[in-house]
Amino acid sequence: MRSIGSATAASDAFAHRHRILAAAGALAALLLTGSAADAQSTGARSTSKAAAKTAAKASQPAGAASAGAAKAEYAQRFASLCAACHGANGRSDMPGTPALAGQHGFYAITQLFLFREGRRDNPAMTAVAKTLTDNDLRGFSDFIDTLPPVPPPAPPTPTDAARMARGQALAQQHKCLFCHGSDLAGGQQVPRIGGQREDYVRDALRGFKTGKRPGYTQAMTEAVSQVPLEDLDTLAYYAARFTPPAGK
Amino acid sequence: MLQIRALAALAACCAAGVALAQQAPAEEPGWAKGRPKTDTAMKMAPVPAFPIPTAADQLPTKKFKLPPGFKVETWASGVLDAREIREGPKGTIVVSTLFVGNKVYAFPPGKREPKVIIDKMPMAAGIAFDSKGNLYVATNTKIYRYDNAEDKLDNLGEGKVIYDKLPGGNDHSWKFLRIKDDKLYFPIGAPCNICDPGQYAKIYRMNLDGTGVETLAQGVRNTVGFDFDPKTGDLWFTDNGRDWFSEELPNDELNHLDMKKLGQHFGYPYCHQGNIPDPEFGWGKSCDDYVKPAALLGPHAGSLGLKFYTGKMFPAKYQGAMFIAIHGPWNRTKKYNGVYVAWPDGKGGAKVEPFMTGFVENNNYLGRPVDFHVMKDGSLLVSDDHAGAIYRISYGGK
Repeated sequence: MRSIGSATAASDAFAHRHRILAAAGALAALLLTGSAADAQSTGARSTSKAAAKTAAKASQPAGAASAGAAKAEYAQRFASLCAACHGANGRSDMPGTPALAGQHGFYAITQLFLFREGRRDNPAMTAVAKTLTDNDLRGFSDFIDTLPPVPPPAPPTPTDAARMARGQALAQQHKCLFCHGSDLAGGQQVPRIGGQREDYVRDALRGFKTGKRPGYTQAMTEAVSQVPLEDLDTLAYYAARFTPPAGK
Repeated sequence: MLQIRALAALAACCAAGVALAQQAPAEEPGWAKGRPKTDTAMKMAPVPAFPIPTAADQLPTKKFKLPPGFKVETWASGVLDAREIREGPKGTIVVSTLFVGNKVYAFPPGKREPKVIIDKMPMAAGIAFDSKGNLYVATNTKIYRYDNAEDKLDNLGEGKVIYDKLPGGNDHSWKFLRIKDDKLYFPIGAPCNICDPGQYAKIYRMNLDGTGVETLAQGVRNTVGFDFDPKTGDLWFTDNGRDWFSEELPNDELNHLDMKKLGQHFGYPYCHQGNIPDPEFGWGKSCDDYVKPAALLGPHAGSLGLKFYTGKMFPAKYQGAMFIAIHGPWNRTKKYNGVYVAWPDGKGGAKVEPFMTGFVENNNYLGRPVDFHVMKDGSLLVSDDHAGAIYRISYGGK
């Protein structure tokens, strides 16, 4: 699979990995609980991301200098163009506005593409995306790829354990984990949904079901076609409050 | 063909019945049926083409390796999701797309900039010209005809629907088309990775007005490339093998259909690569009851376009050979792909060799070949949906 990283330095990737692990919970806790599989899978994911970026670097002789310049340019443009709604660190309190923190570059570029093409219906995002060149789509999505996950703020009401259990069962039943992973962190073209805003996930799932929101592929439309609306809402509740296994 | 819908409805109804009876999980996506529940496999889901064509100066063209005397150049860049390539009688090159583009492009003679002639048509993958210059476009549900398309590139208009009974769906539902002797050839792929396919998993043909549908071959899981041997008139086709059996098995197949023996069964879902009974559907079946592949094309190869070389430019050994696009696996840890060449051995078999490689770097795809077209000068066009480009292979040396 093509990496969309444009020559991010390996050291950045390492730092990114480090932040992921830190955010997910203490590495020591992971090891102490003896959850080797979780540790391995988290490590493998981060390593493959790092490897992909190294590969991208090798395949693009433009060099780290221009890549660094591109990253700085899109960091600056993100701050001026995106941060007002999505937050400077990729997470905001604005209703319906998805967290971009921790999101994958490949997923980000598919959505920017759908907005620009007018296939995904959101006037604000389409207005922004219409002004973007192919290089811009790549630059913004590469930058988003570097944003580490930011945990959601504490929910206003206590978490309903029964509803969480129901959500977990539904996620198993409807094969959500098949693509999004047991940590709901996704990867490549599959978005991170663990810790995403509940209102956003709910609208997205309902949109896939009603056909209002087209996916980049047919995967989500097919996945939710037989799922009742109330179950979709429970899934959104579950995903938004989900804590990765490593953090337990 | 009406039966297909009825059967599909019946299958859906029965599947739902079973699921309800067991209070069981919803159906897995078709592509995931048979996938092992390991961490490594669980991270492998079909990867769509990238939404942005690779910039012209970043294309992998210079990295390709070919036999001595051949050279390859970028024929066109910026062709998002380039899939099938066909040429009209007046020299217009037409290129289709699959999941990402929703477009059909045209390159009028001498032009290298893609001109969008059809837009906002999902899965507009199957294209073919008839001898009069009418363009046929097949989605997963309908087949359209655009009369005298080359004269109307600025405004192609609405196509006439000649057939609207394709079963649709997602898995393997897209089309590859050929027209020969006023018959339109098309496949209906299996609606899953591995399942009892009913009226799916077959190659059909019909008259150009959509009448007279006939079955040519059955037990064909998913062919996205076929062509007629100019010497014998027989049909050769690639077939994508089932997923999740193992990393190294089964192979994709290159198959030979003797046009004097229509209706033969090529094994799916009972037997894979001619000698592996399916662990679920193969019980009570014998691989000897099905047509054996002419050659094996590699595990999870994603073998797509197939074209006999009918030009004069390439050396004599390539006359009568067929080129095969190996798109490359998504559900295999180690990636590989490239353009292969195969020679029929005259006894129903074939010899296969790599022809153009260099699309993979550090186990990442830089490009993924899809389909071919032999130009009038004998050069060979190759489409690449991953990089959004078309390459031209020519021969100049000894």
